[in-house]
Amino acid sequence: METSLIKEKIKDVLISVLDHNNFEMTDDLTAKDVDGWDSLSHMMIISKIEEMFNIKFKLRDLNKLKNMGSLVQVIQSKL
Amino acid sequence: MNLLSDIYDAIIKNKDLNAFCINGTFYSYNDLALCITNIRFEIQKHITDVYSIGLITNDDLPTYASIFALWFEGKAYVPINPKFPQQRNQQIIDQSGIQYILNSDTNFEKDNIKLIHTSLACNSSKDVELPKAIIEDQLAYIFFTSGTTGVPKGVPITLQNLSAFVDAFNSMNYPITNTDRCLQMFELTFDLSVFSYLLPILNGACVYTIPPDTIKYSYIYELLEDEEISFALMVPSILHYLRPYFSEIHCPKLKYNLFCGEALPIDVVKEWSSCVPNALIANVYGPTECTIFCTDYTLNFDEIAHHNGVVAIGKPMKNTDILVVDENNNPVNIGNEGELCLSGKQLTSGYWNNEEKNRESFFWGESGTEKVKYYRTGDLCKADESGNLQYLGRADFQAKIQGYRVELSEIEYEAKKAFPSINLVAVAFVDQLGNYEIGLCLEIEYCDTLSGINLLKDKLPQYMIPTKIKFLKEFPLNSNGKTDRKKIMGIFS
Repeated sequence: METSLIKEKIKDVLISVLDHNNFEMTDDLTAKDVDGWDSLSHMMIISKIEEMFNIKFKLRDLNKLKNMGSLVQVIQSKL
Repeated sequence: MNLLSDIYDAIIKNKDLNAFCINGTFYSYNDLALCITNIRFEIQKHITDVYSIGLITNDDLPTYASIFALWFEGKAYVPINPKFPQQRNQQIIDQSGIQYILNSDTNFEKDNIKLIHTSLACNSSKDVELPKAIIEDQLAYIFFTSGTTGVPKGVPITLQNLSAFVDAFNSMNYPITNTDRCLQMFELTFDLSVFSYLLPILNGACVYTIPPDTIKYSYIYELLEDEEISFALMVPSILHYLRPYFSEIHCPKLKYNLFCGEALPIDVVKEWSSCVPNALIANVYGPTECTIFCTDYTLNFDEIAHHNGVVAIGKPMKNTDILVVDENNNPVNIGNEGELCLSGKQLTSGYWNNEEKNRESFFWGESGTEKVKYYRTGDLCKADESGNLQYLGRADFQAKIQGYRVELSEIEYEAKKAFPSINLVAVAFVDQLGNYEIGLCLEIEYCDTLSGINLLKDKLPQYMIPTKIKFLKEFPLNSNGKTDRKKIMGIFS
């Protein structure tokens, strides 16, 4: 899947969990930069992404998700 | 026991061992000792007749060393979380009368407060000095917890309270030695952190902290597996987060796993036990007012005492007395429900400069032939025949969010200012993961909430911000004609 399409889908997930779109989908975007993206919503964002792409993250993958770029990479590696 | 000289002895005795692992870097007891000594010189140089000192809670060695340095200098620390809203921190500063703040980060300014930068102090080398002689009732710390009228309550804990806690903990059977690797997963504004740094240091063990801006539960998992953590005190919500991944987790090196801060569900902990096959698991309980924790229940997986699936909180520790009472402070019979009240050497002398709250929360009761001071916890409990306390829930509108005690009325108090002239209630509800979240229900058909929530964020710490908002044209009423909070709670879960 193309990176831009993956990003588009992630963006939909973020908007549906966080109820806003006050963020730019750049590669260096981190949870810290996005209002409401904390441990709790992270869990929900992760499980929605899993559903959307029909993939399953390993617990170890989660610590590799440093920013949007690495999230896209990890998703791509699982497709 | 003398807590300060025990800390000193442990530092000297273990000087070549690791004391802290912070963000992947190890620091020895010798590094800790040097840092403490240098900060003590800074304290001596700048601070004279003041006893409560602010401490900005960063995740680094100088911050931890500052705690010990303050104690050795006969002073108490008041933790200030730089991530909390400024107004809340200002309330804490005003209430505790802080004039000095120790900070390891140079990017912090505050009017009318003298700042002492601790990270620079740690660079020079000096010999480690003995603690000063201390007075009996010296304060160790003042922690602030959620208050009903928007003003946090200060809970002062003395070194004697803390010594009583350490003494009681040592008489339980969860030994920590200088080969242990111990988890410290708590913000330093949360009193479970005191256990998680102090007990390891007293025993020469190594403390592993969680860096800020990491996803806590996955970082904890990597510490458990990669660093072979052997001793861990956690809040149960961590298990809710990890539960979808239990099948990937295998931590045979974990020897002791204590849970505190929230109700521990029996089904989750049973599943978890196969991830930590060699760990003894215990449920401990206690409010900040009674120094960290004060009751203890060791789980025996053949037969776990529980109430509605919530693991029992067990029996009082060595230095704590308990009463379960009715509304008139009269003890109820065994097996009957009542409010849990605590007394003993771990109990605070009372809220900081808050006589009104003290009259509400403390009373004199009988323990044998003596009159002793009891603290009403607001927790409903009942004792079973074997003397184990079962936790039944809160008696008031408090909730536990990620282990933090939250007064829903404080959220409502601030929310009413953020949403003027709209009737509203805050509720705690259980989400799909089994964690508690804060819901805010507004009595209105619809309104824009973004600016109101942003106002709340300026007033309240992140864990108190409602995560779900609902609208009801009219609030349901219960049979007493009061707003039916239970029904409103139902629309969230």
